[in-house]
Amino acid sequence: MANKILGHFLRSRPSMMMFKRWESSEPEKRVTIHDPFYSQPQKNKETYLEVVKMFEGRDNRRRGHVEFIYAALARMKEFGVQKDLEVYKALVEVLPKGKFIPKNIFQAEFMHYPKQQQCAVDLLEQMEDNKVMPDTEMEQMLLNIFGARGIPLRKFWRMMYWMPKFRNLSPWYLPEQLPNDTTELAKLAIQRITSVDPDTKIEIWQTEEIEASLDKTWVVSAQSEAQKILLAEQPTDDPLVVKGPFNIYLREQVVNYFLLIGKIRPEIKDNTDPDDVSNIEKPRGIPGLIGTTTLPAVRQTVHEQDDGTIVSVCATGTSSRDSLLSWIRLLEKYGNPQLSSIPVIFTLTAPPSEMAIQETQPAIKDSQEKEESRI
Amino acid sequence: MNLARKVCTVHHSYVTKNLYRKFRFSAINYDNSTATQPQVKEEKFNFEDINILERTERRKAQIQPFMKDIFTSVFNKELLAYPEILNKEETESLDKRIDIISNVFQNPQKTAADRRNVLKNAKIYAAPISLTKNGLAANITESLRYLEVIAGDFQLGQEISDHWVALRALQEGLTQEQLSMIIDDLASGDKPVSLAIKERVAERISQADFRTSAEMDSQGVWYISGEKVCNYSNGYILVLASYESAQLRAFLVHPGAAGVSSNGAFISFMRTPATPLEMIKDDKLAKILGLSRLFAAVLCRCRLSAAVQSVVEYTRPRAFSGKPLAELTTIQSCVGNAVLDIYASESAEYFTAGLLDGYADPDAEVEVAMCRNFIAKHGLTSMLQLLNIPALDKEEECKQLLDNMRHVATRGETLDSVNMFIALNGIHHAGKVMSEEVKQIRNPLMHPAFIFKKVIANRHQEKDDPKLTLYLAEHLHPSLKQPSEQLEYCVLRMRFACETLMARHGVKIAAAYTELNRLAEAATEILVMSAVLARASRAYCIGLRNSEMEMKLAACFVEKTRDRVKKLIKEIDDGEYLNLDHFTTQFGRKALDSNATNPTLVEKATARVFW
Repeated sequence: MANKILGHFLRSRPSMMMFKRWESSEPEKRVTIHDPFYSQPQKNKETYLEVVKMFEGRDNRRRGHVEFIYAALARMKEFGVQKDLEVYKALVEVLPKGKFIPKNIFQAEFMHYPKQQQCAVDLLEQMEDNKVMPDTEMEQMLLNIFGARGIPLRKFWRMMYWMPKFRNLSPWYLPEQLPNDTTELAKLAIQRITSVDPDTKIEIWQTEEIEASLDKTWVVSAQSEAQKILLAEQPTDDPLVVKGPFNIYLREQVVNYFLLIGKIRPEIKDNTDPDDVSNIEKPRGIPGLIGTTTLPAVRQTVHEQDDGTIVSVCATGTSSRDSLLSWIRLLEKYGNPQLSSIPVIFTLTAPPSEMAIQETQPAIKDSQEKEESRI
Repeated sequence: MNLARKVCTVHHSYVTKNLYRKFRFSAINYDNSTATQPQVKEEKFNFEDINILERTERRKAQIQPFMKDIFTSVFNKELLAYPEILNKEETESLDKRIDIISNVFQNPQKTAADRRNVLKNAKIYAAPISLTKNGLAANITESLRYLEVIAGDFQLGQEISDHWVALRALQEGLTQEQLSMIIDDLASGDKPVSLAIKERVAERISQADFRTSAEMDSQGVWYISGEKVCNYSNGYILVLASYESAQLRAFLVHPGAAGVSSNGAFISFMRTPATPLEMIKDDKLAKILGLSRLFAAVLCRCRLSAAVQSVVEYTRPRAFSGKPLAELTTIQSCVGNAVLDIYASESAEYFTAGLLDGYADPDAEVEVAMCRNFIAKHGLTSMLQLLNIPALDKEEECKQLLDNMRHVATRGETLDSVNMFIALNGIHHAGKVMSEEVKQIRNPLMHPAFIFKKVIANRHQEKDDPKLTLYLAEHLHPSLKQPSEQLEYCVLRMRFACETLMARHGVKIAAAYTELNRLAEAATEILVMSAVLARASRAYCIGLRNSEMEMKLAACFVEKTRDRVKKLIKEIDDGEYLNLDHFTTQFGRKALDSNATNPTLVEKATARVFW
């Protein structure tokens, strides 16, 4: 039973608490609930902070501040401020200073003002979930409110130990603010994928360049010099394959990308005994002569993976088959003339949901292109 | 942990000898090898012209390759006598000729044309050609003496060293008819031969490392196409090219041949007709072309000497706090270090030349490469230290000296590629000797008894304190006992180092570049130490002027170098994690991979994560 009550309490949305409080008052005296957040015409940081200011100014004693903070926390996403440290600080500022600091060891030990402390911890928790790093000013504010022995302070210190550790753990750097432009976002995604070869060049093309294209969109395509050569050396009778879409996540954003895959060269076969050192190869010894006169015909580069040689990567604005076809044409136009004589197969496992409209487009007419979409 | 390596049987044939040694009966066992070695004498007569006799070569019978043996800790003590190649008459005529040349080269009033003329008149351009063909039949030792003087003129020094190497190759590679047609032209010095071997590093993954190719047309004429690094192209050019995709052969391009175009340090051939050097095999060609390394070492050393001279000239008239500037001990020690390098390099060069001239069918490619690498490595550092003294006062001269040094130190090939050549040759030789042992070490569970033996046998090596069983001191002047023991320590560590490397990497040792670099450097230092000790001991024993200074130089050099070798071999033994190779390569890799998204390895020192 106790569990049930606790569960119910935990599941209840914090924003509702404020209304519950009014609801519990006498039913005949019920008034219209005034939700200051709801009544804001524009939902942005300024209006959010305005509401917080309004709450602070309304009542000296700041009655109901815990409920207000919970309600405010719940509305953050709506206002798009869940990643803003300043807003969290403004909410912490709502709590009164000095009152919650324990005065003796008993207060300190038995959680002085538990509801308020829990509220502050929840606020910090939400910051952590949103990967917002607090700063030293926040520490000072919490110190002024809860004192050095408060639970929120402990939470704060723990956060300050772990969050900097995790913050830059990913080897792929992303800017603080992800760009809103999808092209830029796709560029970041492709940059991340192609970081295996630092020589890779990323190009942004418009499909308008190809007259036959139906889909007028952008293509972010990446190819390194090594990949160009690998593509040029592909056998002309074996088709290349366009595979995708695959997902890549940039924080909360997802980008679809496609691969152009070719045949691989054979694996290096080395049957010599690794323990037999009786005849280690030595160089010829002619000064200035290094290396060999011929190239090995085996797997050498990072682009040659077990399932094929990746000769190019792209993301397009619509991820449609037509835009991918334009991508192939653009690749051909910019430095891969070989593509005109190699057939390309499209094996798109399932078109992304937003592509449903494009499915009704007429099939692409091209004698050299075969399409195999397994939908 | 390589448990396996710890067990080995040590085969010492001279256990009984050691007993004598303990009781100071060493003279009984002193094997005077020179007395027992057969002397091979070759005399050639040219019956067409009986007035001119071909030069007599006094070569001893073939010996085991000296430095390759050191990789297995075998030391040919006979060589501690330091080679004496030239006899009285030869030395006198050599000195006479050198006097003539040096008079011109040391005279600042003479022009470059004068210097070239004196070389032509003294038949220096024809030095390696036999007497019967109007040459000097100079051996390597003599060539080095000539080159030391000629190196005063940097350009001329490089030109003539290439010319000599090419002449040797042509004499071996061309048929008698072909040679007789051009020999006079070559000997005159008007059209010196330059070498064109090195190529640009491949710029695409689809390019081979070596791209110049030769093909024969239906009339039997060879044509070459490709691009080469070549500094001088005013005469003949000896070009290395591949044919039938994998074979290599040298070709001679005549002056004014079609399709040759020069572009700075590069020269390109477009279907240029060329004469192939058909009579010479690959390994012989490598040996002859390898000589250019020895000449490069001499050129390098002479550049360093020039820098010392320049610093002396700068320091002498100047003063500091009312005292001559030369009294500053920092300057003295800096110059002293450079002199030490020069002495060491000179010893090693003549030692190697002695190996090449004194024995039948010499196998001294590795030694030649070592000479070059020693002075190229230490010369550059010493040069920078030296030029720190005049610093800004002699800006132009310093720049010139440094640039010349850099040029000659990286001439034709880089330090690393030569190091690789040295190490792989050594490892190849050591691998042959130790293959059985390495196989057992790498499969310890199959050979448990061997492993225990190895553990016991290697216990001193593991403690970095091998038992000195070579007794090199017996072959040197007694006052060099301590340095000779230091050399002995280094030599004995080499086998352990090779064993460690092969046990760790197996056949893949050829790709462990950083480790091989260390091994090559250690071996190089050992050659130089041996040469220095042998030279000083010989000088002191025969009572040369200033020989006590040589003894001090030798002792100092060995003392300093021993620590270097000790450190290098310790690092090999430690492996990539303790010697930090694993990490340094990682940092380097990161820096090499840096691009727009990851421009730097680390953030700025002022960067913060939170405020």
